[in-house]
Formats: sequence, C-alpha cells, structure tokens
Amino acid sequence: MNGSARAVGRGLLFISPWLAGFCGLTLGPALLSAWYSLTDTTLLDPPVYTGLSNFRRMWSDSLFWIALRNTLVFAAMNSIGVTAGSLGVAVLLHRAPARVAALARAVIFLPTVVPVVTACACWMWVFNPRFGILNSALTAAGATGGPDWLGDSRFALASLGFMSVWVIGSPLLVAGAALREVPRSLLEAAAIDGLGSGGRLWHVTLPAISPALMFNGLMALIWSLQLFGPPLIMTRGGPEHATLSYSMYVYLCAFSYGDMGYACALAWVQLALTLALSAAVLVVGGRFVRYRTT
Amino acid sequence: MGWDRDQSRRAFLGAAGAAAIGGAIWPRVPRSRVMVPPGRVVLDYWEKWSGTELDSLQRVIDRFNASQDRSFVRVLPVGDLTTKALVAIAGGDPPDLLGMLSYSVPLLAETGAAIPLDRFSPALDTGAYLPAVRALLSYGGRQWAGVTSVYALALYYNRAMFAQAGLDPDRPPRTISELDACAARLDIRSADGRLERCGFLQVPVWWPYFWPIMFGGVLYDSARDRAVFADEATVRAYEWVASYPDRLGLSEASGFASSFERSYHSVGDPFLSGRLGMIVQGPWIANFARACAPELDYGAAPVPVVDDLLDPTEPTGLLEADVIVIPRGCPHPDEAFEFVRFMQQQETQEALALAHAKSSPMADVSPGFHARHPNRSIRVHDEVMRSPRVRILPQTRIWKSYADRTLGAFQHAWGGGGLRESRRDRLLRVLRGVESEVQGMLDHAARLRSRRAGPGGRA
Amino acid sequence: MSADDGNRGARAGRGRLWVCAALAFVTAAYAAPLLNMVAVSLRQASSAATPGLDPLPMIRDASGRSLARTSAAYWSTLGLDAARNYRDVWSGPGSDFPTYLRNSMLVALPSVAGAVVSSCLAAYGFARLRWRGREVLFLILLATLMLPQAVLMVPQYLLFRSAGLVGTFAPLWLPSCMAGAFSVFLLRQFFRTIPAELDEAARIDGCSHLGILWRVIVPLSRPAIALVALLQFVASWNDFLGPLLYLNHQDRYTLTLGLHLYLAQQNQVPWNLVMAASAITMAPVVVVYAFSRRFFTEGAATQGLKE
Repeated sequence: MNGSARAVGRGLLFISPWLAGFCGLTLGPALLSAWYSLTDTTLLDPPVYTGLSNFRRMWSDSLFWIALRNTLVFAAMNSIGVTAGSLGVAVLLHRAPARVAALARAVIFLPTVVPVVTACACWMWVFNPRFGILNSALTAAGATGGPDWLGDSRFALASLGFMSVWVIGSPLLVAGAALREVPRSLLEAAAIDGLGSGGRLWHVTLPAISPALMFNGLMALIWSLQLFGPPLIMTRGGPEHATLSYSMYVYLCAFSYGDMGYACALAWVQLALTLALSAAVLVVGGRFVRYRTT
Repeated sequence: MGWDRDQSRRAFLGAAGAAAIGGAIWPRVPRSRVMVPPGRVVLDYWEKWSGTELDSLQRVIDRFNASQDRSFVRVLPVGDLTTKALVAIAGGDPPDLLGMLSYSVPLLAETGAAIPLDRFSPALDTGAYLPAVRALLSYGGRQWAGVTSVYALALYYNRAMFAQAGLDPDRPPRTISELDACAARLDIRSADGRLERCGFLQVPVWWPYFWPIMFGGVLYDSARDRAVFADEATVRAYEWVASYPDRLGLSEASGFASSFERSYHSVGDPFLSGRLGMIVQGPWIANFARACAPELDYGAAPVPVVDDLLDPTEPTGLLEADVIVIPRGCPHPDEAFEFVRFMQQQETQEALALAHAKSSPMADVSPGFHARHPNRSIRVHDEVMRSPRVRILPQTRIWKSYADRTLGAFQHAWGGGGLRESRRDRLLRVLRGVESEVQGMLDHAARLRSRRAGPGGRA
Repeated sequence: MSADDGNRGARAGRGRLWVCAALAFVTAAYAAPLLNMVAVSLRQASSAATPGLDPLPMIRDASGRSLARTSAAYWSTLGLDAARNYRDVWSGPGSDFPTYLRNSMLVALPSVAGAVVSSCLAAYGFARLRWRGREVLFLILLATLMLPQAVLMVPQYLLFRSAGLVGTFAPLWLPSCMAGAFSVFLLRQFFRTIPAELDEAARIDGCSHLGILWRVIVPLSRPAIALVALLQFVASWNDFLGPLLYLNHQDRYTLTLGLHLYLAQQNQVPWNLVMAASAITMAPVVVVYAFSRRFFTEGAATQGLKE
C-alpha cells in the first residue's frame, strides 16, 4: 500500500506541470468565470451579485443572437469545407507521384504556420473589390467584376469561411495518414469485384478513413466556434455585424463595453454550446463511422 | 546525400537558433526609450492619431518637453485605442495619459477608470471652454477629461463640379431636399450604366448616428433616461438614407462606396479625387486636400438639415471631441495633470487646431487664428460649434453599444429592401428593436448605478 | 503485355496527369495570396493599388514611359522601391518593428523551452509510470483538448491581473510552460512505443526516473520532441489574443500585435507597407518551416490518431 501511495505521489509529481496548469489556468478560471457570470463586474469595481440576470439579458440582446448565428454559420461552412477540402487534397496528394506530392504538400501546409494577422492582411488584399486578385481573376475569366467580398454584408461571412479553408494543414495530414493506412488488400479485392476508382473511394476508402474524417470535422468545429482573429482584424465585425463572431462579442463586451460579468456569462453559454455540438456530432457522426476492429 | 542534407539542415537550424537567442538577449534599447533625457519622469501617452496628425501633436509635445525639466511625454500611436485602453486600465497597466474620444467619458467616469481632473490642483478654468465642449468633458457634475481637439461636421462640396453642372458654387445646399437635387445633377454614369461620379453619398460611414440629428432627432432623452430611436425624425432620416441606393441602384452604390475602403484621406479619397461631389467631413479634410489634391476647388457649408428645421443663423450639427484622460492606475498622475494643464492652454489648443485644421475648443479665439487657419472654411465649423442648436452625443456609459447598434440600423436602411412588408414598416421594426434593446441597456446601467450608490455599494 | 493491360496503363497515365493538373491548380491557389502579398510589398505606393493578376508592377521612368521588363533599369527600380518599403517599415516612426521582432523571440524561445521540459515530464508520468488515477487524469487531459480557449479569456485575464502580471510576458510564457495537452498527448504516444526493457536495464544500472527520462527516453524521442518544440514555436510566434490582452506598451509588443496595430492605425498605412510589414512578421516562421518541413508534414498527425 505504501508503495502504491508512493507511486501515485511520483506520478503526480511528474505530471505536476500539467496538473498545475490545469488547476491554475483552466479549472480555476472556469470556476472564477462561473462566479463572475452571476455578478455584474465592470472594469475595476468589485463584483456585485446579480443572480441570473446576465443570462436573462442575453435573451433580448440582438447582438448576442447575431453573433451566435454568425458563428454557427461560420462553423458549418468551416467544418464542412475544411473536412471535405482536406479530404479532396489528401486524395490528390495520395495519387500524385511522390515528388510532386511532397512539393505540393509543402506549399499547401504553409498557410497553417503563417500568423493569423499576416493571413488577414494578405486576404484583405485578395478580397479587395477593385485590386484584389479574386476579382481580378473573375474579370480575367470573363465576369464583369466581382462583389465587394468583405464590405458587402451578404458576402462578408462567406468570405471569411472561404478564407478559412486556406488553413487545412493539420486535417490534411490526418486524412493523408489515414489514406495511407487503408489496407491494399481491401482495395485490390474491390477492384477485382469490378469497382471503378470512384466506387473504390466511396465503398472502401471512405469507410476505412471515416474515423479520421470524424476527427477532422470535430476539431474544425471546435476551432471554428472560437473564431476571433479574422473578423476582429479584417472587418471589425462589420458590415452590419455580418461577421461579428461569438468570441469577438465576448471580447467586445468585456473590454469595449466594460461588462465583464456579462462576458463571462456569454463564455459559459459558448462552452455549453461547444460541448453540446461536439456531442451531437459524435453521436450523429458515430453512425457513419466504422472503427476498425483489430 | 540524405546525410549531407540532414547535416546542413541541422547546422542551419542550429545557427538560426543561436541567432534568435542572440537577437533576443542582445542589449538593444527600444526606439521609444532612446530619446528620453536622463532624470525626467517619462509619461506614456497613447493616441489614436497617426501620420501627420500625430506629427503635429508631437510638435506640441516637444514644446511641453522643452518648457520644463520634470517630466517627458512620449506619445505612441495605438490602433483601436478605445478597446485597447480599457484592456490596459482593467489590467492595472495603463499608460499615464490616454487620448480617447469624448463618448468614452461617461463609461470611464462611471466605472472609475479615469481620475477626475477636479481632484488635482490648481483647478482648470472650465469657463474657458465653449459651453458644448465643457459639457463633453464632464459627467455627473465633474470634469473627467481635457480636450485635445474638437470638430463639428460640415458639408464639403466641389465648387468646380457645381459650376460645371450649372449649379451656383456660392450657394451650397442648405436643406436635405436641396442636397438631393444638387446630388442628382452631379451624378455621371458611363455608357454601360456604371456610376463614374456621384453627387453625394453617406460615406464614410463613420457617423451612422449622425443623420437622425439632422432630421431633428435626439437619440436620447437624458431627463427621462429613455432611448429615442424610433421617432418620426429617425425614421425619416433613415428613409432618406435608403433613398440613395434606391436612386443609384443598390449594387452600383455599394460598389462605388466600398471601392474607397482604406483610401479616405489619401489620393484615392472619393471627394479629393473628384469622384464624389459632396461629402460630410470634418475640418481636417483641408489638410488632406492640400496634400493630395492641391488644385481642388472646394467650399464648405453647414450640413443640410431637413427642410422644416432650417435656420440659417443657428445651424444644427454634431460636436465631438478628442479628449485626454488620466486613467486610474496611472503611474504619475501629478505629472500627467501638468501635461493636461499645458494642453488646455489657449495657445496650445490653437497651435494644435491650426496644425490639424480644426476649430479651437476655447470660448476666446486669438485675433490671428482665423487668418492663419489652413482651412479657409473653418468659420463654417465654428458657426456650427457655437450655435445653440449644436448637439453632443448621448452622455451614457452604454453609448458605444448604442452606436454599434445604430450602425446596424444604418446599414439595414442602406441595404435592406423589404420583401413581404413595406419598407417603412420594416425599417420601423428595426429601429424599434434597437430602441427597446438600448432601453434595456440603459435600465440595466441605471439599476447598477443605484445598486452601487445604495447601502453596501461604493458611493 | 496484353492489350487490356496497355489500355489500363494509358488510362492510369491519363488519370495521373489529371491528378497532377488538379494538384497544380490547388497548389497555385494556396500559394497565390502569399505570393501576391510579397509582390505588393515590392511596389511603390502609387502602383500598389492596381487591378490585375500581374505580380510585377508597371514602372515608368522620369519621362512617363513604361520600362520594359527585360531592361536593367526596370529591375533596379523595382529593387530600390522594395528596399525603400522594407526600410520604411523597419525604421518608420510610430512603429518599432526591430523591437517587436525581438519581443516575439523573447516570447517564443522561453515558451518552447518550457513546453518541451514540462511536456516531457508529464508525458513520462503518463506513459512510463504506473499509478492509480493515471487513466482518469489522462482522460481529463484529453477532454481539455476540446475546451475552447476563448471561454477562458476573461477569467484568465482577471486572474493574471490579480497576480499583477498584466503587461509582462509571464501570461504568455506560463500557459506553454504548463505542459499543453496536445504536446503531452503527442509525447506520451511516442514514449509508449519505446520498449520497456530499456527502462528496466537503466534502473538496474541505478538510474532514477529522471535519469531514465533524460538518458533513455529523450534521446530516443528526438523527432517527437522536435515536433513539440516546433509546434510551440509556431503557436507562440503566431499568438494574437495573448499579446492583445496582456501586452500594453510598445516596447513589449510582439510582431503579431505590432502588425495588428499597424494595420489598425487611424490614418491607414498604404498597402505596400502593410504587405512589407506582414512579410517581415511571417518571415521567421516561414524560414523555420522551410528547414523543418518534414517534422510538420510527416509524423505529426499519424501519432495523433493512434487511439
């Protein structure tokens, strides 16, 4: 028994960096945030307990609903776009000759390591209605100019969604690794059964890599529900609040309107929402995912 | 082969790492510290200005730094300052001085984020300000900020374009319907229907809450603490805003307006480049006109009001100010106040106003001020500022939230064509939504005030 | 070789051609924004804002004639313009990019060191030691991977404020020195592949657990550790929210915050300078990436999916 207690002590000692971080920077702040969400906390004044009034205020807060809707729309665009896009590119890379694939992979991965501020500056120029390469390309393709991607409330959020598919490095690697592990024997058996390459992709490869796709979709969902940098930097939430994201609204409430208690309440709703959506994706997606039984 | 590449790669990474560590620990004094004379208290001052406006502020600051040997003011341009300032104040790590916009004063005052200036002595002479300016700097009966510059908006118009279109360059529009009539005559479309030149547009959308005022709206009834955003004046104002994309075509007008994104105050500015005949702008535009379009022949007039409000002797307008605040947690409040005091001298104010091409916020104006002023239309701005009908923004801590929602309303009016319901009903619904929501925020703020003032709260 | 085989071979060749063409298109589309950024950063302010897909600007000489692309004058003018842009950004008033660069280093390097040490320790505790409660805690660690960090923005800020650390680099260092969940996960997976016999042998030789970690596990796990270090470097370098909340004074700005505030200046900075500043901000990570690409693109994800 003594030995086991020592073992536990030693284990805890080794993981203490993580444990300290978890308690001090995650669990502690989370509990603190739960308390603040029940108070009115401005910039400097001590908190005043107000019960659930922060949560009640959300109901009639139009910007809360707008931010929520925008974030959900973005999350849907992003998680579908990133999962499908990374799968498509991974299939291309998988089929291309090794040297070509290595070069292409290096380039496609690059945006993943670029700082978000740089990426935003870059894309503000891409989206520029008059000089941007997007509209220039449209003009070159025969269209009479394109829309003002970021300045038009009908396009702004979709533009951010489009831009977010630029960063697919990690899901691409996950999908690529999964593709390499699809058993050759299965593919060959399917070919003998007369399945074309499309059929093999649909009936053999996709089920085999479905856990990886599920993982990618889930990670993209969690990430995109936190969207913060691009709308803050590129559009400041505009036009007509079309790109106001949830995290950005939390930031604004805390630091622009000086309403920290409300911001904490918003953050808790965001956490609950993230967990609920992740669980939903896991449950619904779980029906389509086939885990290999080994 | 692989071994070679690995070796050289490792060597490179090692060298890069060493260079990085070297660069990180190399003793290098940040540029901002280089200039400080020894023995002075350094006052950090964050300003939202940059470029030439910052340069002229710097000249004023240089005079302060030379005028005494106790403190040294170091100014830093900070983008998105109003938010960054609150982050820093809340974190207990603010600079000594903050250049905010006047609408922040109530929020700073009510959250205790600024130090009231009447706490310092000797007191500032508040009688020296124009009455509207004095009101902007105070909240709850105390003065919270000094002024750095003020502006009232005016209508700038291209005289050459007026003459060319057969309009009288000496008679700019005074009412909204005259404005509409002039604007329509200045539009030019190319053969394929694209808008090449436009008479007037509500760009830049920096003041989405401005138009209700010109239609007689009040935005906020301070006596009853009520938001007023769905009254007849406001509805008419935004209906009028909507009439522009209606007349010009929504996608054409939006495309035209947004093509000037990031180009205001530069060679590509819609007004300065001659693609917009009339624009609502601050007096500073004269400086940018001299720099970017020296040949431009332009004039200014009070912004047109709705026809039944017209009173040529007492123009209506909106007054806003850039203010300087001493934040709570300021490391050197007494020295900072010395600088605020310096900034509040008539001489300093006029020097800065001349450099920025703005009006002076002081009641008294020195004799040579107007003659030396770089904006030959500055009297138009002065007239609005001194008019009894000049308005200031609602003095409530929630104004920023309110303003953000007026932008939504503005853009709804601009882009929202109703499908099922009539335009007016839909607009009214949006405005009422904003109004009731803002009212909720006002009520919440009021409850907080009473709770904090009540037993157990901070007085 | 039968006719059928030859047919299939031709089809496969055609298919491969299609794959390469599609891949070339995708690659070009992914590279275009960054290439475009660099191209704009070379131009004069007046020619920065010209429509079209041509990466190179039209340059006119003193008499207003446009210079030929093949002429030496064209390229020397372009080079001078580019140099002027980068110099303007580097030493321009109002910003201080040399200091920002140094601060980014000061944030990133200790974070990397802290992350590597703390993650190795924690991963060793999770992978190589047997103790009660280990599995539960590891599950909690995995669960934190799913926790949106933005949720903790305000309370963490208030916590660091009450510790008096706002305005220092500590709020940026501390989280990475506390063994990030993903790094621990990655290293644990790797450590588990190392045969247990090696530990035993080392223990017989009288090694402590720290000794085993240092002499046996770490040398065998270099690729995984390098990956953790690189990921942390990129994460710290690219961090935006952290500096936005915790760094207030210009002599503490990192490159990302400095670039954001440069972009957000009231009188907007011309595009060519914005692009030059962006290029400066991203250059260090791109260089690191270029020389350590295989750590990123090989191995990273495969480890992450094993369970």
